[in-house]
Amino acid sequence: MKIEVLFPEICNLYGDLANIRYLKECLPDAEVINTSLQTRPRFLEEPVDLVYMGTTTENGQILALDQLRFYREQIMEQIDKGTNFLITGNAMELFGERIEEDGEEVCRGLGVFPGIARRSSVNRFNSLFLGTFEPGPKAGQDGTEEEGPITVVGFKSQFGHTFCEEGDTGLDHLALFTPERGPGMNRYAKGEGIRINNFFATYVIGPLLILNPPFTKWYIRNRLGAPIEELAFEAAATDSYNCRVEEYSDPKTGLYYWGGTNQPWT
Amino acid sequence: MKRLKFYLALWCAKLSIVALKLTGHRGTDFPGRIAVKICPDFLRQAKVPGQILGVTGTNGKTTVCNLLIGMLTADGKKILDNNQGSNTITGLTTAFIRDMGLGGRCRSDAAVLEIDERSSRVVFPMMEPDFLLINNLTRDSIMRNGHPEYISRVLSRAMPAKTRLILNGDDLIASNVAPANPRVYFGFESMEGDVKECVNLVNDLQICPRCHSILQYTNRRYHHIGRAFCPECGFHSPDLDYEGRSIDTEGMRMDVRCGDKWEHGFRLLNESVFNIYNVLAVTAYLSELGYAPERISQLLDQTEIVKSRFNVDEVGGYRIIRQMSKDRNALGSSRAFDYVSGLPGDKELIMMMNNLSDAAVWSENTCWLYDCDFEFLNKDNIRNIVVTGPRAKDYYLRLKFAGIEDERISFVHDETDAPGALRLYPGEDIYILYGTDSIDLADQVAEKVREQIREKAAGRSEIE
Repeated sequence: MKIEVLFPEICNLYGDLANIRYLKECLPDAEVINTSLQTRPRFLEEPVDLVYMGTTTENGQILALDQLRFYREQIMEQIDKGTNFLITGNAMELFGERIEEDGEEVCRGLGVFPGIARRSSVNRFNSLFLGTFEPGPKAGQDGTEEEGPITVVGFKSQFGHTFCEEGDTGLDHLALFTPERGPGMNRYAKGEGIRINNFFATYVIGPLLILNPPFTKWYIRNRLGAPIEELAFEAAATDSYNCRVEEYSDPKTGLYYWGGTNQPWT
Repeated sequence: MKRLKFYLALWCAKLSIVALKLTGHRGTDFPGRIAVKICPDFLRQAKVPGQILGVTGTNGKTTVCNLLIGMLTADGKKILDNNQGSNTITGLTTAFIRDMGLGGRCRSDAAVLEIDERSSRVVFPMMEPDFLLINNLTRDSIMRNGHPEYISRVLSRAMPAKTRLILNGDDLIASNVAPANPRVYFGFESMEGDVKECVNLVNDLQICPRCHSILQYTNRRYHHIGRAFCPECGFHSPDLDYEGRSIDTEGMRMDVRCGDKWEHGFRLLNESVFNIYNVLAVTAYLSELGYAPERISQLLDQTEIVKSRFNVDEVGGYRIIRQMSKDRNALGSSRAFDYVSGLPGDKELIMMMNNLSDAAVWSENTCWLYDCDFEFLNKDNIRNIVVTGPRAKDYYLRLKFAGIEDERISFVHDETDAPGALRLYPGEDIYILYGTDSIDLADQVAEKVREQIREKAAGRSEIE
């Protein structure tokens, strides 16, 4: 199995690269390819099982886009073909239409989905996330058997949100997760993240794959095609996950963090 | 009208200080909050002391400020400081109010101020430091600070043109703040234990700021701290105006070059790299203030070292060490882990760096655990790690991820019960790793450890 990590020298914030370290623990035979800004991405040359990109700085977004822009058409083709992409944190914003800061356009995105990332140079939006993932038809079951929704937990810590020209809820039909508590793509949206074929992108960090063993097991089995029985440190990860699900489901637990208060953002 | 507001703010804040004293409160920024509420530009209107000496950066601000205050006071200066309060605008305002008479005039010769780096955008328009030291800019609270490049941008945008910067030349993020400002650099060309490749999970400056090629390091201390160059465009770490060398961790001394001249025997606080930088930083600072190197060395010798972040007790043949390991700060905790794991002898750790304020309101964002080098703790002489507090299960998972076997991890829900899980191997050191808001709780846990040791000793003598 080949896992390609795009630009780990700049896309490495908030523990996100541990998603890949964890996959490597779960799949010891996997080959992890680290592709730097100076290198042509491997997935353009040969099939890879997963293309991963994690959170970066605002300047890092521009540097990454400067590279990815050259390959926009090929990226679209790969998404159409069903190549697995897992994009976490603000790396998702690169795949939208454009990024704005304080009302001004900073750069054009790749246009994979019609999102407009609007960020502030001052405010930081922090929250917890509790939501569900709908796996859809079970792999190899001819679409006849549905798996139940999987509960997903994590954090959000970002300078902005993603909106849509067609309205603030205009991306809901592409959502990767459905929020139960905590925000979606923006404070009006009913969906979190983007799912187009096997292109999975989300603001949720954690690291996502470590915090969510049920989702990770589904992902490894059904998207990466590895029939694993057990995840790495599965008992400890599940214990931590169950504790977090219970905590976040408790109405007494605040989900938004704003200057030390438990109030939704204004 | 403006002045009237200023005096009203001052007098109300002064009254609140009296009220706080009577009710037994201390170290609060309440007076500053009152003053800013009544007069938002209180600090701009204040008649400040002769010199404003600022210190900012991610790690080491408090230690550097304490050293500066101690050394300047030892030199006979009257210093205004905020070391009893917060380092944001209200904490700074409180410090000035405490120093002012009812007429609004400060009594001190100079102000030594620890300034929260993110608050600089609010503080600097109100009060322009004459000097500002930036000790380092590294990954800190994800929720508040985001990442060091963002903080560098905040500082650069807010920096007053007149402020002279004293910068860590071994930190390419800190040393590139506000490039138009006058500046000097301090650092170490080499240090024992330097490496070329990064051994840490976090390395926040991997590419050349100029051409974006991969940077190389001739000497790396930790993370992105060290001497770097770009093989493609020739960019390199800045030349040092103040350089340390010949670090003697037995005699606790080092040599410092101020300009062209080497001076010998500057006292060190302890052997941690953080604190070696802190001593060089204050030496550079005082030199910039006009002090001769010999005098700086004398003042260092006379200064009492504050030990609030590293306290050692000896009980019944055990050493109990309270070591601050900043919660939500991957780099700070990595440094603490590296330091503790590098010390000789058997150890047990109580890991309780939970952020209790977050736990009270929502739930801590634990992303930072995966930026933090828990792998340093995977050493045979660390024989038991007791994970405890609200995030104990997350610590447990993280330690497993670091390759530490179950036999060397104990889980205890409540911090005050954690000492009961210690195995108390004879002659070992017991470390209590605590966060910024669990200082009092760490004291309670330390007391329980002492009791535990006494009970064990009593039990042994009964058997005998």
